[in-house]
Amino acid sequence: MRRALNVLARGAVGMTAALLLMAQASAATLLREATVGEPPPLDVMLTTADVASVIGRHIFETLYALDSTYTPRPLLAESAREDDGGRTIVIKLREGVLFHNGKEMTAKDVVASMTRWGNYGARGKLLMATASSVEATGTYEVTLKLSAPNGAWKALVADVNGGLAIYPEEIASKAGNRPIEQKDYIGTGPYKFVEWRPNRYVEVERFDGYKPVKDKADGFACARVAMFDKIRFIPVPDVGTRVSGVQAGDYDYAEMISGDLYESLSKDASVQVQRTNAPIFGLFFMNSKQGILKDNYKLRRAIQTALDKSQALRVAFGPKDLWNAEGSIFPKGTPWYSSEGVASYSPHDPKKAAELAKEAGYTGAPIRLLVSTNYQAHYDEASVFTRQLADAGINVQMMVVDWATLLKMRGQPEQWDIFVTHHSFSADPLLLTFLNASYPGWWDSAEISSLRTELISSTEPAARKATWDKIQALIYDQVPVMKVGDAYTYDIASPKLKGLNPNGPAFWNVSAK
Amino acid sequence: MWSFALKRAGTTAVTLVAASVMIFAFIHVVPGDPIYVLLGDTATPDQIDALRHQLGLDQPIILQYLTWAGHVLEGDLGRSIFFQAPVTSVIADGAETSILLATMTMIWVALIGVPVGVIAAVRHGTWLDQGLSGAAMLMASIPTFWVGLYLILIFAARLGWFPSSGYPSIFEGGVINLRYLVLPSLALAAPNAALILRLTRASMLDVSREDYVRTARAKGIRPWQVVRRHILRNALLAVVSAFGFTFAALLSEAVVTETVFALPGIGRLVVQSILRRDYPVIQGVILVIVVAYLLINLLVDLSYRVLDPRVELQ
Amino acid sequence: MSRDAAILWLKPFIARPIALAGLGILLTTVLAALLAPWLSPYDPNAIDPVIRLTPPNAIHWFGTDQFGRDTLSRVIHSARMALLIGSGVVLFALATGVPVGILSALFPRLGHVLMRMIDVLMAFPTLLLALGLIVILGPSLTNAILAIGLGYMTTTTRIVYGLTLRLRAETYVEASRSMGAGTIWLIGRHILPNLISPLLVQASFVFAFAQLGAASLDFLGLGAPPEIPSWGNMLAESRTFVTRAPWLLFFPGMMIVATAFSLNLVGDALRDRLDPRFRQVFGEKG
Repeated sequence: MRRALNVLARGAVGMTAALLLMAQASAATLLREATVGEPPPLDVMLTTADVASVIGRHIFETLYALDSTYTPRPLLAESAREDDGGRTIVIKLREGVLFHNGKEMTAKDVVASMTRWGNYGARGKLLMATASSVEATGTYEVTLKLSAPNGAWKALVADVNGGLAIYPEEIASKAGNRPIEQKDYIGTGPYKFVEWRPNRYVEVERFDGYKPVKDKADGFACARVAMFDKIRFIPVPDVGTRVSGVQAGDYDYAEMISGDLYESLSKDASVQVQRTNAPIFGLFFMNSKQGILKDNYKLRRAIQTALDKSQALRVAFGPKDLWNAEGSIFPKGTPWYSSEGVASYSPHDPKKAAELAKEAGYTGAPIRLLVSTNYQAHYDEASVFTRQLADAGINVQMMVVDWATLLKMRGQPEQWDIFVTHHSFSADPLLLTFLNASYPGWWDSAEISSLRTELISSTEPAARKATWDKIQALIYDQVPVMKVGDAYTYDIASPKLKGLNPNGPAFWNVSAK
Repeated sequence: MWSFALKRAGTTAVTLVAASVMIFAFIHVVPGDPIYVLLGDTATPDQIDALRHQLGLDQPIILQYLTWAGHVLEGDLGRSIFFQAPVTSVIADGAETSILLATMTMIWVALIGVPVGVIAAVRHGTWLDQGLSGAAMLMASIPTFWVGLYLILIFAARLGWFPSSGYPSIFEGGVINLRYLVLPSLALAAPNAALILRLTRASMLDVSREDYVRTARAKGIRPWQVVRRHILRNALLAVVSAFGFTFAALLSEAVVTETVFALPGIGRLVVQSILRRDYPVIQGVILVIVVAYLLINLLVDLSYRVLDPRVELQ
Repeated sequence: MSRDAAILWLKPFIARPIALAGLGILLTTVLAALLAPWLSPYDPNAIDPVIRLTPPNAIHWFGTDQFGRDTLSRVIHSARMALLIGSGVVLFALATGVPVGILSALFPRLGHVLMRMIDVLMAFPTLLLALGLIVILGPSLTNAILAIGLGYMTTTTRIVYGLTLRLRAETYVEASRSMGAGTIWLIGRHILPNLISPLLVQASFVFAFAQLGAASLDFLGLGAPPEIPSWGNMLAESRTFVTRAPWLLFFPGMMIVATAFSLNLVGDALRDRLDPRFRQVFGEKG
């Protein structure tokens, strides 16, 4: 017994000592963010995974950045000039921008990054497919020549997600299509990469050589100041645990909280709620290449006619504050908002749907719906729709798989008729996945391909908007995808944090009270 | 003794090779592909093929196996596709959490399971015994994740006595970080303590029926002395092996608890790697788990021999 | 079964009220599963978002979930899945474990190889094996049964193997052997009948653990397809509502506990009436 006490006493001394050590260590300020899961490699050019972008945007930067109205504003670029009817773009770079390895960013780095992005970047083809050359025409000047003008180019280089992040030349040029190594996570951002402990955290620390843009911060654009010494991005897969973690003070910020907790968390003094200003939207892709839905626009319209989208939104996202049954692909308040075709968005008319299906020659053959449970909202929406379609006599069979399997299966047109995913907010229609003919779904009818060309080559905003109106009308006619509706995700943070970014999790300019 | 150990080591090696072939075959029939997960939503088929080639995933499986096995013999488990780090260091990182979690759990199990089991056995047949055995059975019937959710809610979010989740290494924050493992280890301890309790009780009862115990009793030795000197010692023999296997199981099978508590342990590492098809990690971790299991198996057998010379090793 | 035998079987239960209670819970679950469509007040899959997340009240005794589905009806219907998974796993474990175990014990050469294979299988962590299988085969009821069953097949095989070895060594079996009895006759006359009661004990424990295993798989999203109501799926879908709608976690969780608990109680009671010769083979782990 005495020995046990002795051990206990020694343990207590040890713990006290450890506590003191901890107190000392915490003099450096640390922000702990609970992410939804472990990210893929942080080579943000290649990946479109949101988890990677959230971390990556602290390390890497782009030529432009989106402000709180989602307008591109210069970040690494200082200005740009378009010549030759928009076919030549001359970008002037900011001087004195340092990489984390201490070297100054010059036109060579941008050219190498742009080349790699054009070859392998997830969204690189959107701009670079028509590029005939990209050259350094000065230490701080890059000239991009296009075979046809591209009205969306600034928006296309304004986000790290699968986007044109600027890497040092030697890293970008040797990397090829293989994700860059951890030691090469060298960008120009306000934080630099420190280490990645699997399943534990990714740590970044303040980059002392960072020189913010002069203009006042707005969304992701303009001045970025690192207030915390370090940030740890900690994977916490269970949403309940993320919430309890912030409430208990173990995390300072937690992403993607379920809608049904919104009301109670809004009243909870131990957290602050941060709703995103840009909605994401669920998408049901129709197979345009093969199977029962190929070219059968009438059957597709029958399907959409049967649906009541607000039911699905309510189930998937909870309180009315967090969703909007909006038929326009772009939300109100954006320049792309359009009411073309939206009457067909969510009619919830099973009778008419049944008639349409009959006219389309549908006889009850099963329609295969591919969905993953990794995203609860996808599954919720699919369940509600399956039920509603059954009421209209349309026989949908859910194929529930894990996300990795879904990603592979959806590339095989013989495997599915509809698959479920979601789309994050885009600043320009060209960034929409379903306008990309090689994206699963493969929407490439004659009508859309001519409209697509029109959208890319016109540079005048009003003309582009007119084209977009036609495209949206076509979307409700040919139904390559069904939009579920706008959903506003929200995050929670410790009440101590101030200066949270309205565009999403980004922790420069964020400080503790 | 030594010839036994050698022979066992031999069969262990054979088992290991068989297991490694199984792991490999198993993994490569899983549908899905790490490339898709790696490159994300918008990758083009060309990009996918090119990367698959670079990672060597387009080679015949036999060739992939031989390459892998060759490296393993040199102590190299390959590199994780996702973490971009050597598999050995990824595993080592997870092992810290898993080993500490399993150890802490086993401490609870020993502190609760064994003494309560002894009490139940000594009071065999009384209401106390029935009550304790019943309670043990109840504990063994509760899903750990369910308990975990409530533990977080009550002791972390409401009362704030313990951290809710995560586990920063003790090498960074000192032993104080062990407090992160208190709630998860308690959740895991409940069913395992129940099993050990029942086992302790049963083997105590078995031993107490043995002749030498009767003799001791007949000699008039005081009941508690009999329990301590004669019964407990022999009864614990069976308990020791159960401890070994429970520990081995905890290293890898705490997946659900690790998910609920966001612990960076081995179990979650495997599940996540399976879901992302990070082949080198899956292969490496399962290999390590199998080795650990076989080693513990071996140790348990050897410890029998040491604890009880009567046991003949086959 | 004769009257005496029935009394013999019931005896351990009568002596222990708690075991009797377990038997009662079990029978209730079976009844709920069989009569689910008549017992449950609503269609378990009827979606009505307007009344979603209503706390328990006079109309919905157990409240409603995020789809507005009636929790009580879902809890009742889930009993079917519990019984299906449980009996599926038991059947699989017995159908594979019994022949392999008996043959291994009777034919030592074959036994050596087979038991070695069982060793390899046992070295794989059960839950991981199950997870891997589910990812390969895709989530479905059959696959969940297969994945969980595989883990218990190994323990069952070992138990049958151990028991058969003992039986074989018993004098009467030796005697009938020396009289030239055929293997099939030997198995049918001497081995199988003696295995029945220990296997019943094993079955009740496997059934109990299968409940917990299935719940874990469901929780990780790899168990029964989510469109089928099961207690584990109900927990998995509603785990974020632990504060917002605690009833969604409470009722299915309690059902898992009650079912597994009563199975354990029954198994325990059965074990106590088991021939002491066999008890040891069980270890105690079951």
